[in-house]
Amino acid sequence: MIRNLHRLLVRSSAIALSLAGFSTTALAHFQVLYTPEMAPSRANTTRFTMVFTHPVHGGPHMSMEQPEQFYVVSQRGSDSEPKRTDLMKHVKPIDWLSNTKANADETQTPIKAFHASLPRAVTRSLGDHIFVLHPAPYYESSEDKYIQQFTRTMVNVGGVPGNWAEPMNLPAEIQPLNKPYANWTGGVFRGRVLADGKPVPNAEMEIEFINHALDQEGRRFAAKGEVELPQDAYGTQTIYADAQGEFTIGLPRAGWWGICALAIGANTEHEGKALSQDAVLWVQVKDMK
Amino acid sequence: MHTPIFWQFPFFSSTLFVIGALLCTGTFTATAAFAHSPICNCYNDDENGDKVICEGGFSDGGSAKGVGVKVLNDRDRVLIKGAMNADSTFTFTKPDDDFHILYDAGPSHQVIIYMDDIE
Repeated sequence: MIRNLHRLLVRSSAIALSLAGFSTTALAHFQVLYTPEMAPSRANTTRFTMVFTHPVHGGPHMSMEQPEQFYVVSQRGSDSEPKRTDLMKHVKPIDWLSNTKANADETQTPIKAFHASLPRAVTRSLGDHIFVLHPAPYYESSEDKYIQQFTRTMVNVGGVPGNWAEPMNLPAEIQPLNKPYANWTGGVFRGRVLADGKPVPNAEMEIEFINHALDQEGRRFAAKGEVELPQDAYGTQTIYADAQGEFTIGLPRAGWWGICALAIGANTEHEGKALSQDAVLWVQVKDMK
Repeated sequence: MHTPIFWQFPFFSSTLFVIGALLCTGTFTATAAFAHSPICNCYNDDENGDKVICEGGFSDGGSAKGVGVKVLNDRDRVLIKGAMNADSTFTFTKPDDDFHILYDAGPSHQVIIYMDDIE
């Protein structure tokens, strides 16, 4: 009896230790809306990957439902009219693989993610192309609540700016005060947290780096992270916006940085459960070479 | 054969490229009024293969309305002359001759796009 109890305790401790790196309290959910280049010199086909994950750890991933909306709002020059184009017809489900397996023989159960391969015509025009994803609410059982992250990734073609700084009056949104597609390593990024176009004072925010390179062809993140975290608090940087909803973050490394403002949307309930409507904005950073 | 140059930096003409580049370098650093650079991109009209659409702009987001555009042959003879419209675009029918496009936003604010670089 005592021996069995001891075995149970040892086993439980082992499981707890193995999960320590993925404790639910320390991990930030991020809706990824990834394309390799946010600032191409000229128009090309654009491939987006949509995966709901914990980017600094390269997982675990959460299965997505069919997104509610995916569209782009394009504008060339600051005084032209923005043009909205629906892109849902390009959104296709894909299997997304884990970047780690307990052993080589393990059979994976991939999670559901999405991709969109967009023809060159979508970004043919010079200027800003703001891609917006409204994912379906995701039920997070460990927190007994739904999460819906309104996510934006901005692509600029050719260097002519457009509407990158303009609020879009989304339920949850991060308004950039720097161009998200043109940032040097070591610079700062500024923004303002908005809900329905209005600033959200003192919003709680999380910042994560895509630490495991995203492989669009292989449909997985790299097994090895680029940066070794000295402690789990370094993985998700937590900050608060100020009384005007504004924030500033540093950009210490080249790559993709995700900025998330938590639970700022007006809708707080979905199918009888709590709903967190978050805003995510992606920023690409490059080294000065 | 000209070196392909897209919507990068202004210069006067292919023969004055070096001088133009040097002038631009000094201007960018010294004069606030020249803090923007002209940008132009031309592509084939998907709906009409005989047409080319050019989009103009500036790096500060300013409108290109009224900016002059010339289509020239290899001997720098002007084949077509016009200006960017209110939408900062200029559309023309492809000449039979080889051609290049000059987007002319003023001294040190010119961009040349060669025929081979039109997608």
